Amino acid sequence: MAYLQLTNVSKKFTSADNREVIALDRISLTVEQGEFVSIVGPSGCGKSTLLQIVAGLIPSSGGQILLKGRPVTTPPPEAVYVFQQYNRSLFPWRTVIDNVAFAVEHRRSGPRAATRERASHFLGLVGLEAQAGKYPWELSGGMQQRVAIARALIAEPTILLMDEPFSAVDALTRLNLQVLLLSIWERTRITIVFVTHDVDEAVYLSDRVSVLTPSPATISEVLPVDVARPRRPIETREEARFLQLRHYLLDRLLRTNADAA
Amino acid sequence: MLTRLKSQVLDLGPGAAFVVALLALLEYMANAGLVNRALLPPPSTWFLVLWDLVSTGQFIAPLLETLLRLAVGFAIGVCAGVGLGLLMGYWRPLHDFLEPLVELLRPIPKAALVPAMVLFLGIGDAMKVTSIALVVFFPVLINTVQGVRGTDPIMIDTARTFGYSDAAILWKIVFPAALPFIFAAMRVALGLGMVLAVLSEMIAGSGGMGFLILDMQRSFKIRQMYAWLIILAVVGLALTALLAAVERRILHWSLTDKSTGAKQLK
Repeated sequence: MAYLQLTNVSKKFTSADNREVIALDRISLTVEQGEFVSIVGPSGCGKSTLLQIVAGLIPSSGGQILLKGRPVTTPPPEAVYVFQQYNRSLFPWRTVIDNVAFAVEHRRSGPRAATRERASHFLGLVGLEAQAGKYPWELSGGMQQRVAIARALIAEPTILLMDEPFSAVDALTRLNLQVLLLSIWERTRITIVFVTHDVDEAVYLSDRVSVLTPSPATISEVLPVDVARPRRPIETREEARFLQLRHYLLDRLLRTNADAA
Repeated sequence: MLTRLKSQVLDLGPGAAFVVALLALLEYMANAGLVNRALLPPPSTWFLVLWDLVSTGQFIAPLLETLLRLAVGFAIGVCAGVGLGLLMGYWRPLHDFLEPLVELLRPIPKAALVPAMVLFLGIGDAMKVTSIALVVFFPVLINTVQGVRGTDPIMIDTARTFGYSDAAILWKIVFPAALPFIFAAMRVALGLGMVLAVLSEMIAGSGGMGFLILDMQRSFKIRQMYAWLIILAVVGLALTALLAAVERRILHWSLTDKSTGAKQLK
């Protein structure tokens, strides 16, 4: 039994003029424990909607999602969703360390000091111990997303659902965050489902890349990324296999996008 | 820091000078017989009475009486407004159920309800505190609902993904997110509360600043009446400043320009 199994997951919306819009059309996907799977697709194809359904944040209109064999209807304790909009996901009235502690302070009945110590440890994991007492809006975008990652990790999820987490930061920061995420993933081996529209990023990070076609979204293909690990931000991107896969995926996305446009 | 304080004092300068000039004009007009001295004695005589009230401590008891009722009524109104506002803003069916009633009651000037409240609550503290609480309640309720509605859904979903319950989300996310709206309402409500505190004492009172002001007028102690008005003005100024200080302390995160990290000059 796969760790995460999506079977014929559909999502229908009712549009403003009362028409039924099919956003996701019978999507099936399996993710194994410890795997890094990316979902790529053009903007507005429903990638985020799919991930939010997996996270139990919005209901599906049909099909089934099994996480460790249990159907997902509400946010499961094993999963944490990381938002693209880090600046809206962090709480401006809480300091950095209190934002991290937020993820666990409702669970533990232990002493506050222990929670703060743990929060400090996870801030260290993303290299931000020194910023603990600051407010999120005093940090750069890249730092804010690192706080969000630390906050996700302290909850000790076995699966991370990441919605275009690095799309709102500059190119260099994005590379650094990718390296950071891979190093955390290699150490913890948590399962990651990563939504992005950046093919380069998807190939660089993932074990497998699934391609979503534009609306109604379906998975057209799941591509194994047979590029050696550990991956390195510059060298990996120069490997023949990396370039081949990148070429192939970009070609596919461009063509489906052109059809839709 | 010091230069900022200095510039603030300088900013205050022209406005303060205008107030002094107005008082001087009144003084001149009263002394020159341009106005009826019986109705408008020279301001210098108000301040003599004021000094008497302050130096003998006579002002303390009526002031405390009014302030205490205002504080209790304000606290009740704010707590009720925030509490119900959080529930109405977060839970749609309750909002739809109560909204017509709220919209019906809200436009009534609360002062107009005082005679009716006298019938049910008498002329004592219960009526006065209730009338203050009522006038405070509505703006706080309306703004809290608006603040709750304006809470970023991403913040709420963030709490949900970490397994927070609805009640915990309401308290830990929605309430702080709505606080800037709540404070804005409290500033308005404080002024309204003062109106009702004074008015309810005038309608049915045996003490307090509102009662005294009316009493002085009726017994033709005009200078005393003006002296109490000055006390009322100073108290209003002090309360507003106090609320602003509390707001700056609690909402420092909201008063900061997020794009530059610089404090807004308010």
